[in-house]
Amino acid sequence: MSRETISLADILADARVWKLKDASAAPPRPVWSTGSSSLDARLPGGGWPTASLVEVLIDETGLGEVQLFLPALVASQRRTDGETHWLVWIAPPHEPFAPALSQQGIDLGRLLVVRPASAMEALWAAEQALSSGVCAAVLLWLKGTDDRWLRRLKLAAETGGALGVLFRPERHRFESSPATLRLVMTQGEHAPHLELIKVQGGLPGPVA
Amino acid sequence: MKSRTAKSRTADLFAADALPAPHARPHEAIPRAVPAQPSSRPRSNQLWYAVVFPEFNETQPQISLQRLCLHAQQFTSLVSIEMPNALLLEIKGSVKLFGSLGRLHADIDAVWRRLALKAHGAAAPSTLAALWLARAGRQVLLEDPALLAGHLAALPLACTSWDADRLRTLNAMGVRSVGELLRLPRAGVARRFEPATVLDLDIALARQAAPRRAFVPRERFRARRDLEMEIENVAYLETAVAPLIERCARFLRERQSGIQNLELRLRHRVGPATRVRLGLASSTGEQRRLTDVVAQKLSRLTLAAPVREVELISGSLQPFIETPLDAFSRVGGAGGRDTAPQLVERLRARLGEQTVYGVCSIAEHRPEAAWRRVHELRETTDRPAADHEMPRPVWLLGEPVQLCGPLLLEQGPERIESGWWDGKGIARDYYIAHQVQDSRQTRGARLWVFQERQSKCWYVHGVFA
Repeated sequence: MSRETISLADILADARVWKLKDASAAPPRPVWSTGSSSLDARLPGGGWPTASLVEVLIDETGLGEVQLFLPALVASQRRTDGETHWLVWIAPPHEPFAPALSQQGIDLGRLLVVRPASAMEALWAAEQALSSGVCAAVLLWLKGTDDRWLRRLKLAAETGGALGVLFRPERHRFESSPATLRLVMTQGEHAPHLELIKVQGGLPGPVA
Repeated sequence: MKSRTAKSRTADLFAADALPAPHARPHEAIPRAVPAQPSSRPRSNQLWYAVVFPEFNETQPQISLQRLCLHAQQFTSLVSIEMPNALLLEIKGSVKLFGSLGRLHADIDAVWRRLALKAHGAAAPSTLAALWLARAGRQVLLEDPALLAGHLAALPLACTSWDADRLRTLNAMGVRSVGELLRLPRAGVARRFEPATVLDLDIALARQAAPRRAFVPRERFRARRDLEMEIENVAYLETAVAPLIERCARFLRERQSGIQNLELRLRHRVGPATRVRLGLASSTGEQRRLTDVVAQKLSRLTLAAPVREVELISGSLQPFIETPLDAFSRVGGAGGRDTAPQLVERLRARLGEQTVYGVCSIAEHRPEAAWRRVHELRETTDRPAADHEMPRPVWLLGEPVQLCGPLLLEQGPERIESGWWDGKGIARDYYIAHQVQDSRQTRGARLWVFQERQSKCWYVHGVFA
């Protein structure tokens, strides 16, 4: 019985063959450096992805969780294309200290702080800001939320082309989440311990 | 009666006109000096009418000069307010319309008499001459600039309403009237007093132009609509208000203006009207944005009673530069539907005015005073804050919290000692520190702590998030 030799190229050309996307390929959308090379190396594209939702699970503030995003926020504000230069911080745990932010290079003229009365209002505000198309990044602090709302936020981030960052307590670690990236931040011996628990197009695991 | 007074006054004025000018053009003799003397030929292309209300402040505080301006605007379009108690009208064009200057004067005078206001009016070819004549109470109507100097010469210097110092010095010099001042050497007057003195004389003699800004009354949009049926459901209100918003947007477009405030009044059969105040993040005249804000606000409203009538009142109009025509610059943005002011308005309409704000830093050493909230949306680039020795924390606690638990100091101290002048003085040594957990040797939150120098107590003031 004769066997036809079939080349790989022929197989790939066959319409019946469905190709899995090469997940490790650099995403077409721009990324913003995190300011830390070891973290950059672990993220697909080498930085925080735009037009997506990033979830940071953290129990107490003060571990440098905002600092992780500040270089990206500065870079996104300095971008010259389009008009998407606004930053919106929704329900931050304390007052953002203006001198610290301008010290880091944030353009305070395009920073909005929103103090909603309830979690529902916070989520609504985040959705509006993310999908508005004028925001470079939206940071949201929440105690808890359900899966359905996270999906809406992710969709809004994709429509508006903004980076959405959600800070939640660590107890939500084992809930499913549609976020593109999920990180856990805990106290460490010398520096805070950072672990990627979900990376679309990358490998999860602790960050050195 | 009325016409008689007018007539007698007119006769009087003509007599004044015919008077020989006692000090005709004494300025001619003055040598050229600082400030450069303008051409001695008086400009005569303007005619000003000044009204002074001598008892204005005492008797009629409730009538503002702006109100009186509106009355005066029936005679000319250019009326300017001269603080504290006078109006200036440019009447060159109006004289022909009203027949004669005397007639116009009588008509203007009648307005003040009707309002039971004491007023002195005078006309002259220059702004200051008219004002001075009116202040001196001379009801003179001058059209010929050549006669100006003669009429001004007789006026007491007090009618110039120059500052008391200048008048006192002039009085001490024995100068009592404008004429006596005009006879002094120009250069000397300019040196001795402010050059403004000479400039004022030039203006009064119509040798120097002194343009005035016309008073423009504030305009508002105000329209109401009776509803055919009483509306009980908020959902229907939006459609009921829509025609008013459309009219408002058209009104604004025609005037090339925008508004930042709107008020919606919902009237009921009984009881007071429900007032809904709407604020916009930036001045706008765009119908879509107005509708957006109204809809957001209405959706959160609970009606106390059915609505019979809606009324829309705009805030004051502002010249509006941004038009939807510059939409080209917005096309590029992903999604590209909104502008920042629109986003802010939508958030504010639902969450409340005070909940959406910006922050700005202030050049001040005390951390608690080094920032403030800003509610006005401005796209200005903030100037970079002063360089501090140590990094500043992302979060600042509202109040410093007394410290508990072990800490490891990392960096510091940075001494901040300031504010002794306003009673909120501080004297602190700031450190960057991190919490240490005793049981597990792990580092906790990075904090901005300080030691009060007097009490030696430790406080947390910020968190490095």
